[in-house]
Amino acid sequence: MRDDSSVSALVARARDGDQPAWNEIVERYAPLVWSICNRYRLSRPDIDDIGQTVWLLLVEQLGNIRQPAALPGWLATTTQRECLRVLRAASRYDSFGSSVDNQELPDQSAPVIEQEVIEAELHAALRTAFAGLPARCRQLLSMLLSDPPHSYAEISATVPIAIGSIGPQRARCLDKLRRSPALAALSDVAVEGGEASGARASETGGARRA
Amino acid sequence: MRNIGDDEQLLAALREALEADEAVPPEFIELGKNAYAWHNIDAELAQLTYDSVREPGALSLRAEAASIRALTFTSAHLTIELEVSEDSVLGQVVPAQCGMIEIQAREGTTATTDADEVGCFLIRPIPDSPFRLRFRTADGSDILTGSITL
Repeated sequence: MRDDSSVSALVARARDGDQPAWNEIVERYAPLVWSICNRYRLSRPDIDDIGQTVWLLLVEQLGNIRQPAALPGWLATTTQRECLRVLRAASRYDSFGSSVDNQELPDQSAPVIEQEVIEAELHAALRTAFAGLPARCRQLLSMLLSDPPHSYAEISATVPIAIGSIGPQRARCLDKLRRSPALAALSDVAVEGGEASGARASETGGARRA
Repeated sequence: MRNIGDDEQLLAALREALEADEAVPPEFIELGKNAYAWHNIDAELAQLTYDSVREPGALSLRAEAASIRALTFTSAHLTIELEVSEDSVLGQVVPAQCGMIEIQAREGTTATTDADEVGCFLIRPIPDSPFRLRFRTADGSDILTGSITL
């Protein structure tokens, strides 16, 4: 992994013709595009179409992005716009030209999108942080997260690790995860204890849009 | 504000993150990666700016006109108009100019046809899956339309 895996660095490299950097942008944010499309319950071919359009538009815009940090927000609003375009077209076919009220469409309010963008950034940062953990930590956490859950005995035999060490090792791995630079770069996440603050979330959300 | 301060919160968030990633089909990600092929190709995207079936009154027109559907794609420099009839698509590049039309299916297959000196081209049969048109001229114009489903 390169030293600087920030969105800004990835965008700069992709602009200069670096396909791996582009691939990483796509891998990082495809779940965001995908989840927004799924919110609109579109068919798979429509979703593929929208995804392709969104990425093509981004390719076209690479040279014009002044604030790469705003990329997730741009992807979310662009995806939503393309979804609505497809939905409007589809409902016109179904009802032979009757117009569609925006109220009939799934929730498209700004706070929903904003929340999705924040979640997507957290998820992307967590995946980057997870990928940067030592192999033993990744294996242990994967086993702890598996569904159905593995027993401590199974984990002990597979990793391998003494059953009594699983708890402390889990804590150490999570601490490493929490200290990862990818997570530290997030402003919307409290990595220390304490109450989540809705007020601060909306403040930073506002700043993001500005 | 999402709190991942304690271990249970962090583990739950990590689970969500990994699940969100697993939910995305690999082909969907491939489409995104492949879009980069358009980097450094100086193609302009032409967006759909008119679709007859999306205009009010489309129904009454449909009954009378031989043409079933009309679509217009517009880029900064030119316009591609399409008229869809029963078994073919008649296209017109405005301003009129000759060039090559590529019909790009999403799966990656490409067929070509020529736009003549008055900018006309014919696509027959009608592609049965979504496609994009790419129009290129000898003097370097390069236009890619939005996706078309007929």
